[in-house]
Amino acid sequence: MNQSRWLTWLSPLLLLVLWEGAVQLGLLNRVFIPPPSEVVVALAKALRDGSMQHDVLVSSQRIGLGFLIGALPGTLLGIWSGLNRTVLALVRPLATMLYPVPKIALLPLVIVVLGIGEVSKVATVAVSVFLMVVIHTIGGVLQIDQRYFEAARVFGANQRTVFRTVALPASLPAIVEGWKLAMGFALTLIVGVEFVGANDGIGYRIWQSYELYAIADMMAAVCVIAGLGWVVTVVLDEVARLVVPWQYTVKESRMSVVRTWWGAVRPWSYTAAIVPVLLGAAIAAQHVGLNWWLLILALIGSIAIQGGTNLMNDYYDYRKGTDTPAVKGTGGALLRGDLTPTQIFWAGICAFGIGAAIGLYLVSVTGPFIFWLGLCSVAVGYFYTAGPFALAYVGLGEIAVFIFMGPVMVLGSYYLQIPTVAWPAVWVSLPVAFVVAAILHANNLRDIDTDRINHKRTLATIFGRDGARIEYYVLVGGTFVSQWVLVALGVAPWPTLVTLIMLPLAWKLMGIAGREVDPAALQPVLRQTAVLHMRFGLLYVLGWVIALWV
Amino acid sequence: MDSGVVVEFAHLGVTYANGVVALSDLSLTLAADQAVCVVGPSGCGKTTLLRVLAGLEKATNGEVQLSRPATLAMVFQQGLLFPWLSVADNISYGLMTRGATPPQCRAAAREWSERMGLQRFIDAYPHQLSGGMQQRVGLARALAVNPDLLLLDEPFAALDAQTRVLMQELLVDLRQQGLCRSMLLVTHAIDEALLVGDRVVVLSARPGRIIADVTPAVTHGQSFDEIRAQPAFMQAFTTIWQLIRREVEAQLHEEVTL
Ligand SMILES: Nc1ncnc2c1ncn2[C@@H]1O[C@H](COP(=O)(O)OP(=O)(O)OP(=O)(O)O)[C@@H](O)[C@H]1O
Ligand SMILES: [Mg+2]
Repeated sequence: MNQSRWLTWLSPLLLLVLWEGAVQLGLLNRVFIPPPSEVVVALAKALRDGSMQHDVLVSSQRIGLGFLIGALPGTLLGIWSGLNRTVLALVRPLATMLYPVPKIALLPLVIVVLGIGEVSKVATVAVSVFLMVVIHTIGGVLQIDQRYFEAARVFGANQRTVFRTVALPASLPAIVEGWKLAMGFALTLIVGVEFVGANDGIGYRIWQSYELYAIADMMAAVCVIAGLGWVVTVVLDEVARLVVPWQYTVKESRMSVVRTWWGAVRPWSYTAAIVPVLLGAAIAAQHVGLNWWLLILALIGSIAIQGGTNLMNDYYDYRKGTDTPAVKGTGGALLRGDLTPTQIFWAGICAFGIGAAIGLYLVSVTGPFIFWLGLCSVAVGYFYTAGPFALAYVGLGEIAVFIFMGPVMVLGSYYLQIPTVAWPAVWVSLPVAFVVAAILHANNLRDIDTDRINHKRTLATIFGRDGARIEYYVLVGGTFVSQWVLVALGVAPWPTLVTLIMLPLAWKLMGIAGREVDPAALQPVLRQTAVLHMRFGLLYVLGWVIALWV
Repeated sequence: MDSGVVVEFAHLGVTYANGVVALSDLSLTLAADQAVCVVGPSGCGKTTLLRVLAGLEKATNGEVQLSRPATLAMVFQQGLLFPWLSVADNISYGLMTRGATPPQCRAAAREWSERMGLQRFIDAYPHQLSGGMQQRVGLARALAVNPDLLLLDEPFAALDAQTRVLMQELLVDLRQQGLCRSMLLVTHAIDEALLVGDRVVVLSARPGRIIADVTPAVTHGQSFDEIRAQPAFMQAFTTIWQLIRREVEAQLHEEVTL
């Protein structure tokens, strides 16, 4: 199954490669059929000037609004018709009659009635969503097994209770299915609607590019709408899981793809990737106006590298057998068999690839300093648990994290905004470096016994439990103390002292870390240290932002 | 303890809209705190009888009378648990409809799931359970409302032979604990009727009339194997089997000549 999964990716990939090759070799006319690379460039350009975001937003608003206006009454009327014969007789024939009419054909009529503005576009979407949802909902209610109604009545349910506990839940799967279809339909429809009589939106963009013969732009827009469709599908799947949970417990006792990857990639740990980038930019903002485009790219790149690191970490931990079910926390997707090691490995490579691509772009617009920083980061990310000299297994984990997720990243982010190597940025980054190292150390403190058994050398196993506790105090304490020193020396502005509100949490965590031995009791320390990092980091950045005005 | 409920079917007749006469002129009195089993050939109107009592079907002729207002509960042939409710919510369904608060419902669900050996599945959905487990939930749902009269329509017919025996034992056990007093059990299985019931009513082929109404001299309170070995059991079994056999054969003959 996993093999065929990869094969399904192979054919489109191959097509892209062949396509690119054919154009580059001059077999295809570049004007009519631009190569994928040109499409990517066009997409990047449209994203950079913000016009694509604008069009996506506009189309999404039309779809979203039309969906709400159509689906809500559609669902209610559908349920009512399903339960009441009179209403059914009135509604169903009309709905079935109108249903096959291509809704786009109604657009001119809608425009005549409602004008050419926003209203007519939303209304067209709403009408078709409404019909689709009504028909599906009626079907859903009518197909309910009558015996459930009887069972409810035998157990004393009145009319209202029967509706709430039988009619509604029994028809929900069909209703949600109707929503899904209607949403897909709305997506198709909006493109058609925007082809005519719109001056923004993704459909307008496609048509406009076609008229200007900007085929690459056109394809970029098509890619974006395909992506939008995918996102909508995933979101609605999650909605379905939430609304009809009983349908998702047996056949798919395995988690959804999104959830599995979410757990494997650990996005909640991304504050470690985000905070230093924001901090670097916030420091730079004291001197210049921000370049938002570069900041956002840096964030994405940093997240990609963090994601790649997490995935590689899982992969090699699995290979080395250091993660066993006894190890709490994540890394579990592999152990549970939700994902294969190969999938993890290649996803990690992809993430690093994205990080590298963004990195190279940033190098091209700023300078070689970023190149070296990026290269080092990728190398450290890779050798963190990989290779014969895995940093995490020789007690260098905390130090590597301290340096790279603190000063290095802050320096890099600052450099993107102001291309000089600013040493004060290193001092400013120290509190963040301490707290990020504390997260890793909380992990090692928790796993101290299993790591010993597995001969995984961390600072915790080297120092022993007492030493490891002191190390935790130093890292968490250092977070705050280093910041106070910076404020006292006038390096960091005084509004950054908002971080003081995190002191009670830090105090509590040090208490638990000094008391508990059981991994289960130390698990919250790990989670909460990550929370501390996030809140402390964001408050610290906030302090810098406030300093722009005071 | 309040007095048990007495049920009286008087000249009951049910004719379905398509003209099928399921029951005609059936009179039967169920004494208080009695476990009555109804057996009869397939399609003779056993389910119809239960449905009339449960208020799901209207009598075309005659009537059903209860000696006092009573709480009824029913265990269905296919379990008929609500697939969208967890085991806990299924068990407490009858309490919820009668206005119990969520904590009360939760407590009752916990109590009954323990009694039925379902603790581990309390948050599962029905389709995650085996057939036997599902039927346990069905039984718990019915008994949780503390019914005056429990109706069971071939509750164990769909289970495998071993599970069926366990469930029959459970039912007898629950009754001995005083947790279900009056009950009316419809079944195909004569041995089940004799093992579980105090009294066995045998119906003829459609339309169902009473062709025998026996209170076998079987001594309960023993293991099923011991009960089966009693001469009274074997004698009652043979008598009832002969009666039903004759009905089924007559019906077959009729169908062949038709
Ligand atoms: N809703 C209905 N409409 C028309 N005919 C029905 C209906 N329900 C049952 N019948 C018919 O009435 C007769 C009695 O049905 P009933 O379900 O009471 O029999 P039963 O003794 O329970 O049978 P079985 O042993 O197969 O469960 C059968 O012939 C059946 O086909
Ligand atoms: Mg039946």
